[in-house]
Amino acid sequence: MSLRVEAGDFFGFLGPNGAGKTTTINAIVGLAQKSAGRIALFGYDNATQWREARGLVGLAPQEFNFDRYLSIRDVLIYAAGYFGLRGPEIAERADMLLERFGLTSKSKVEYTRISGGQKRRLTLARALIHQPKLLILDEPTAGVDVELRLELWEWLKALNAEGLTVFLTTHYLEEAEALCKRIAIIRGGKILTEKPTRELIADGASLQDVFLELMREGQEAGV
Amino acid sequence: MNSVGFWTLVRRELVRSMKVINQVIWPPIITTLLYVFIFGLALGSRIQTVQGVTYAQFLIPGLIMQQVIDSSYGECSSSLFQGRFMNSIQELLVAPMSALEIVGGFVVGSLARAFLIAGLITVLGIVLVHAVPQNWLLFACVIAIVSILFSALGLMFGLMAEKFDHIAILTTFVITPLTFVGGVFTSATMLPPQLRTFELFNPIFYTIDAFRRSYTGESYLPPIYSIAAVVLLAAVALAVVLRMVGTGYKLRV
Repeated sequence: MSLRVEAGDFFGFLGPNGAGKTTTINAIVGLAQKSAGRIALFGYDNATQWREARGLVGLAPQEFNFDRYLSIRDVLIYAAGYFGLRGPEIAERADMLLERFGLTSKSKVEYTRISGGQKRRLTLARALIHQPKLLILDEPTAGVDVELRLELWEWLKALNAEGLTVFLTTHYLEEAEALCKRIAIIRGGKILTEKPTRELIADGASLQDVFLELMREGQEAGV
Repeated sequence: MNSVGFWTLVRRELVRSMKVINQVIWPPIITTLLYVFIFGLALGSRIQTVQGVTYAQFLIPGLIMQQVIDSSYGECSSSLFQGRFMNSIQELLVAPMSALEIVGGFVVGSLARAFLIAGLITVLGIVLVHAVPQNWLLFACVIAIVSILFSALGLMFGLMAEKFDHIAILTTFVITPLTFVGGVFTSATMLPPQLRTFELFNPIFYTIDAFRRSYTGESYLPPIYSIAAVVLLAAVALAVVLRMVGTGYKLRV
């Protein structure tokens, strides 16, 4: 697989279950070990220059993986600490993110005491605490209601407009269509297509039609 | 070097210990109190002196070592395994933290907890049976080295375990039996000669023997041998666990 995401892009990475989306993300952030190939993040090799590379990436994983012993605010403060950041400016940024994601009133409680939607927002806030240049979102709206989903979309659009590069995987094709400037569709670890979203749905077809057609072709080709 | 990341992890480990204080701090203190009352004061009154001190005073360093070993192993094994189980370990793995910083953070956090527990038991020993360490440098050194050794073993088992049950295997079948026969309750000189030879194959014997010297000024072996043996074991255990974390063993897919 060969893939290039431009800085400032909102990149959709789509595929059926088991296509390799999460594995790709894990390889990018260092949670999976590569047997071959190279991944560079803003010019930093994520194997040899891993410290610089990891510092530029914020990951919002699909599953909640918060530290159960910390309060919501401390989840952000400690996450920043792991990235080598501390001080009053981090506390201010944590408070700003809690405010931005509507979690201020919950800042002192443990994550087990907040709702699924609030956990989803906390995942995003944590991924942003160290001011990454690349935000990786693995199914960011899985299991959230329509209202929060639309709210999250607005936040993500705003973040991208501020210059943050976003790499999104989702099963909601309308989400990718609404948010992504460029989309890659993969199957069996191989890229079937990679185009600007506008080109992908240029002839009036929906992204869902394009996706299903590619899956059918991929299956026939044995991918 | 990500020193902020390292100290953040140390602080996190201490927060964790304080959150489960009824599970990890008070039980060793209560257990020690019971040992002192039952073995030290009740049964110990029938024993004259051991290594020049009362049996209750003789017991205190052994009990401290027992709790340092249990606490260090338990802290690192359960914290790391829980992190794997809940996936919260991923927070460390995606951060710019090296294997050394991660292992160091867990070990220093565990070391702090071991010193806290050892300190509390030391105070109990002073108050209850007037057992006062005579050599504070040896006292601190042995606690530190033993805590590092068992923290590293805890991390190893925290990595290898597939379920919570597995991390208890080393405690139940190895650490507890070896601790009990390693000199917590007895001096090597009280044992028959053939058992004394057997003790030399028990690594926990070295830890207790060296540590007791910081109280009584006497030991079965010169403390330099015991300390060297424990330092060697700790170095090997640390090297192995650094390698495991560095290669992502059961951490990175």
